[in-house]
Amino acid sequence: MKFLVNPSKFNEIADYIFKPVLVLSILFFALGLLFSFYLSPDDYQQGSTVRIMYVHVPSAWLALLTYAIMTFYSIAALAFRMPFGFIFNTAVAPIGAIFTLICIISGSLWGKPMWGTWWVWDARLTSVAILFIIYLIIIFINLSFENRVVREKVVAIFVIVGSVNLPIIKFSVDWWNTLHQPATISKLAKPSIDPSMMTPLIIMTFAFMMIGVAIAILRIKTEIISRKSNLS
Amino acid sequence: MKFLKKIIFFYYREYKLNMSGVQDILTNIVFFFLSVFIFIFSIGPDKETISTVGVAIVWTLLLLSSTLSLRKFYQDDFENGNLLIIHLNGFSFGFITILKTFSHFLFVQVPFLLSIPIACILLNIPNDKLLYLFTSFGIGSLTLSCLGSISSSMNLMNQRNFLLGSVIVMIFSVPIIIFSVGIINMAQNFNSLINILFGILLIVFAINPWASGLCLKLSIENN
Repeated sequence: MKFLVNPSKFNEIADYIFKPVLVLSILFFALGLLFSFYLSPDDYQQGSTVRIMYVHVPSAWLALLTYAIMTFYSIAALAFRMPFGFIFNTAVAPIGAIFTLICIISGSLWGKPMWGTWWVWDARLTSVAILFIIYLIIIFINLSFENRVVREKVVAIFVIVGSVNLPIIKFSVDWWNTLHQPATISKLAKPSIDPSMMTPLIIMTFAFMMIGVAIAILRIKTEIISRKSNLS
Repeated sequence: MKFLKKIIFFYYREYKLNMSGVQDILTNIVFFFLSVFIFIFSIGPDKETISTVGVAIVWTLLLLSSTLSLRKFYQDDFENGNLLIIHLNGFSFGFITILKTFSHFLFVQVPFLLSIPIACILLNIPNDKLLYLFTSFGIGSLTLSCLGSISSSMNLMNQRNFLLGSVIVMIFSVPIIIFSVGIINMAQNFNSLINILFGILLIVFAINPWASGLCLKLSIENN
């Protein structure tokens, strides 16, 4: 597992796994879209709009997961002086921002027919919007510092301080009475979702994960090269 | 005893610096009142409407005007080298941030505490809410000082994007705004909301020496 902390080891492994991951993501996307459009039933209340879930939920999970991994890498990078964590932070922040944006846009497209409004100021929606702004600030910090050593450490500190938002997002549906429904899948008890809807959701989650990993590999490799040539 | 003397001299120096630049603090307060006027002009002189949104306006403007003075939190001392001299005199970077946070609270936030009652008269806020406003601002302003310390120490080496510091403070002050306006509008939940606000203050106060101390150290090492 050394390739997760060592840039040159990462380059070796990434060359091997990039194409398989890309092919896997295309396969999963094809299978997942087939399942979610044709092989899964309509909801008895929501009708066909329930299919938005197969884009909305995976992107939301991955937005949170990306930030959580960034937090772990920032702590490790500051504690063990591990430069790969800084490379990871710089490379992956835009991917997380895009996942959050997909989640917000698909959510508001789903909210218009179901709740009757594009946007409500409820706890879950607000905290996800704040997550999006935190991602944007990380990108802005990356763009606005001249000195690379200061920049990457400031980004890491900001990521750690901003990670207080993650538990707020996760538990916002339990702590406050919100319009957004509480967790149906990621809870300790048995998931309260039918297996016929669970299957496409899982497949789409894997598809999103694979495409995220593929783009992350590309961006991390670019970042390593630009550091070696001392471009930024 | 020697250490205590140093702390007293530190605050004497802060007092001198702030008194020589007292027009900055006054400009903050003028900005606060001007924004109140502009809000009243844009909403219209209807007393009912003003008194319903008054508390929210006061809190938002307090936040905005306290972010105005962020640039001089560490920047001046950093650029003329005083920060390094204070550090060489036996204060660790974390301790400097604590001292600086309290000095920012004393010299920038406390004048706002004195100007809140006048704003309350202008915005037609009932007198019984004044106590809640004071309590929530007393806790919230110290939290804002800690956040200001974090963001301004992050931006010491940032020469391009001056607005970033205010944005960082504003994004982290969202929970403070929510709970402090909640205190004033729902007075029956007073104790539980005060506890939450106090909890936020303690979290930020614990993070502040680590985060800003690390940023100060980084900037001084790499300058």
